[in-house]
Amino acid sequence: METAQLKQQLKKQIVESLNLLSVKPDDIKDDEPLFGEGLGLDSIDSIELIVLLNREYGVVIEDPKQGRKVLVDINVMAAYIEKHRKR
Amino acid sequence: MGGISAIGNTVAENRTSLIKGTCGMGRLEMFPSKFSDRLPVAEIKISTEALKEKLNAFEPGITRTTLLALHAIKETIADSRLTNEQVSSFDTALIGASTVGGMCLTDEMQRDAQKDTPGSEYLASYDYGSTYMYLQKRYSLNGPVNTINTACSSSANAIMFGARLIRSGKVRRAIVGGVDSLAKFTINGFNSLHILSPDLCTPFDEERKGLNLGEGAAFLILEREEDATGKKIYASISGYANANDAYHTSSLSDEGIGPYKAMRDALVSAKLDPAQIDFINAHGTGTENNDKSESRAMLRLFGKVPAFASTKANIGHTLGASGAIEALYCILSLVQQELYPGINFKNPIPETGLEPIPTYQKTALTHIMSNSFGFGGNCSSLIFSKA
Amino acid sequence: MLAIEPSYDDIPPGVLRRMGKSVRMGTGAAMPIVKNNPKPDGIIIGTANSGKEDCVKFLNQIIEYDEGLLTPINFVQSTPNAIAAQIGLLTNNHGYNITHVHLGLAFEFAIIDADMMLNENPLNSYLLGAVDDISNYNYNYEDKNGWYKKEAFTNKPFYETNSPGSIAGEAAAMFLVNGNRSGSIAKLLAVDALHDEDESVMKEKLQDFIRKYLPAGERIDLLLTGENGDSRLLKYYSICESVVENNVSVARFKHMSGEYPTATAMGLWLCCNILQNQSIPGHMMKYAAATTRYKNILIYNNYKGIQHSFILVSE
Repeated sequence: METAQLKQQLKKQIVESLNLLSVKPDDIKDDEPLFGEGLGLDSIDSIELIVLLNREYGVVIEDPKQGRKVLVDINVMAAYIEKHRKR
Repeated sequence: MGGISAIGNTVAENRTSLIKGTCGMGRLEMFPSKFSDRLPVAEIKISTEALKEKLNAFEPGITRTTLLALHAIKETIADSRLTNEQVSSFDTALIGASTVGGMCLTDEMQRDAQKDTPGSEYLASYDYGSTYMYLQKRYSLNGPVNTINTACSSSANAIMFGARLIRSGKVRRAIVGGVDSLAKFTINGFNSLHILSPDLCTPFDEERKGLNLGEGAAFLILEREEDATGKKIYASISGYANANDAYHTSSLSDEGIGPYKAMRDALVSAKLDPAQIDFINAHGTGTENNDKSESRAMLRLFGKVPAFASTKANIGHTLGASGAIEALYCILSLVQQELYPGINFKNPIPETGLEPIPTYQKTALTHIMSNSFGFGGNCSSLIFSKA
Repeated sequence: MLAIEPSYDDIPPGVLRRMGKSVRMGTGAAMPIVKNNPKPDGIIIGTANSGKEDCVKFLNQIIEYDEGLLTPINFVQSTPNAIAAQIGLLTNNHGYNITHVHLGLAFEFAIIDADMMLNENPLNSYLLGAVDDISNYNYNYEDKNGWYKKEAFTNKPFYETNSPGSIAGEAAAMFLVNGNRSGSIAKLLAVDALHDEDESVMKEKLQDFIRKYLPAGERIDLLLTGENGDSRLLKYYSICESVVENNVSVARFKHMSGEYPTATAMGLWLCCNILQNQSIPGHMMKYAAATTRYKNILIYNNYKGIQHSFILVSE
C-alpha cells in the first residue's frame, strides 16, 4: 500500500475508532499533533490507538509511554506502521 | 463487624494476617482466564459452590458477590447480638455498595445480553443492587435498603450515608458496608487501562507498577450513641466527607484536588486539626497516578504526614468493598491500639520521600483517617475515633 | 420507547464522543440547569441501568478477542457514576458527588440524600436527578425475564392491554434543589420507600405515609401513579387509588415514559409542570375529579412488584 493511501486510511480509522464527531478524515493534517494541541487527544485515546494499530496492522506497542513516541502525528504513525506492520 | 478477604474469612483471621504482614496475592483459580498466570490477584480461596454450601444459599441466580456479602453480614449480625426483630425493624437500614454486582458472571452476562439466546437463571442478578435485594429478602428487612456505586469509594460512601441516616433521625441503626468479587470483566477492564501490575503491588514505592485486584466484603453496624450503652462499642465515626476531583474520568489530578478536599472536609466535620490524626489508612492502590496524587494531597494538608500505610498490598484492591474492609481494619487498629505494616515497600517516591510504616507496632491511637478515591473523581474520607 | 436526543450543544464534541446514552442524556439534561444557576454544592444522581450498554460492549470485546488487547473506553464508561462524574468534570464541580443504584428506588434514595444534605447545609443547593437508558442488552435481560409485553399494541389501549409486561422506556430528569421557598417551582414534602410484595403491607405503609406527611387540614389534589400496563401489578395501583379519597383525580404517565427503574424522576418532573401550569393533559387522566387547584400531589410507583415509592409534592 502506498504511503499516501495508508495515511488516508489511518485518518479514517482514527476518526471512526475514537468517534471524533466533529472531525472529518480530510481535516486532519499529516503533521498536526495528535495530543495536547492539534487534535487534543488524551491518554485513553492513546490506548485506543495502540489497540487499533495492533488489530489493523499487527503493530505491537507494549507500553503506553512508548506509544506516545509513535502517536505523534499521522506522518510518524504511518512511518512506524510501514516499518513494523505484520498485516 | 464482619469481614472476609484474601487474608482471612473472619475479622479475627484478617487481624492475625495483618499483624503477620501476610500478602494475599496469588494465582487466579476460581474461574478460567488468560490472566491466571500473568496477574497476581487476591482471591478468597473458597469456591462459589463451597460458599453456597457453607451459607445454605442455593437460590437460583445467586452470585459469588452476593455470597461473599452474605458471609460477611452473617458474622456482622452475630457479632452485634442484635435480635432478629431489631435487624428487620423498620428503623434499621442496610446501605451497601458494589461495583461488580452480578457481573462476576462475565460469560453468562454476555450470553444473556444477546437477543437470541435463552435466558439463564442470572437474568435478574446482574444489577449492582441485586445483592442487597437478596439480603433484604433473606433477612426480611423492613427498613431502608439502598445500594451505592461510586467506583472505588462506594462502600466509604455507604458508611457515610448510613451514618447520616442515623444522624438525621431517619433510622436508629444501619448495617453498612460493601462487597465485590473478582471478575473477568474487571480484570480485563483494568488491564486495558494498563494499571494492573504483573507483580505484587507496591503502594507508594518509586518502582510501583500498578494495582492487584482483590475480592472481599465487610459490614459494620452503626448505632446512635444513646442506643449503644451496655454494648461492645468498637469505635465512633467522628467525621466524613465526599468531594469530587473533577479532572478526568479515570485518573486523579496531579495535585490531588479531590483527595485534598475530601480529607480536609472530613477533618472539618470531625472538628479536628490535621495534627490530631494518628494514622492514615491510605487508598494507596500502587498505581503511578493514585499514589503520587494522594501523597501530594497528604503533604499539602498535613505538612508533616502522620504514619500511614495501604492494606491493598495485603488484600489487593477490593473495589466496591475496599472502603468497608479498610474501615474495619482502622477500627481494629483503634480497638487493639496497634498498627499493621505497609508491606512490599522498598523505596519512597523521590519527590515526596513518604514511607508507609514498616513494621507492626503497638501504639496509642485516638483518631484514624481512611481514604477511598475512585474513578469519576469520587473521593471520600472517613475519620474513626477510639470509643 | 426511545428518547429523542437533542443536539447537546452544551457538551463539547471531544467529550460527547465518548459518552454512552445515559451519560449523554443525563449530562445534556443537567447542563442547562448548571449554566443558568449558581454552581450547585453537589451532584446527586440515581440510576440503575446506566453503563450496561458499554458494559456489554466491553464483554463482547472480551469474548471476541479472547481476553486479548482491548480498548478501555467502554469499561470506563460502564460505571454508573460516570453521569455524576461527567457533569462534575464539565462544570468543574468539586462538591459532594454520589450515585445511587438501588434499582427501582435509585431516584428515591437520591432524593433522601439531597434532603439530608440540605438539612445539614441549609444554604446549599444540589443538582438532583436520575437517568436510565434502554440499551439493546438491558432490553434483552428484561425481555427474557418477562417484563415487557410480548404482543404488539399501540399506546392508546396501553393501560387496558390486560397482559403481563410493560414497554421499555428511557429518560433523564434533572432538578436543582435547595431549602429556599422563594422562586421555587415545587416543594418536595416527603419521600418514602418499601420492599414488599404483600399489597396489604403496601397499603398500610401508604396510609402511614399520608397520615404522617400530609399537612394538617390539607388534601391530596392529584394521585400520579406509575401504572404501566402490566396486569400483574394492577392490584397495587388499585389499592393506592382506594386509599386516597374518592374525589381525587388520578393520572398516569408511563404511556409517555415507558417503564424503567428511575421513572419516578419523570413523574416528579411532570408534577412540577402540573403545579406550574395548573393543568394536566387529557391523555394522562385516569379519573378526573372536580379539582379547582392542584396543590398537593402524591406520586406512587411500583417497580417489579417489590419496590414501592411514595413521594409527596406541593406548591
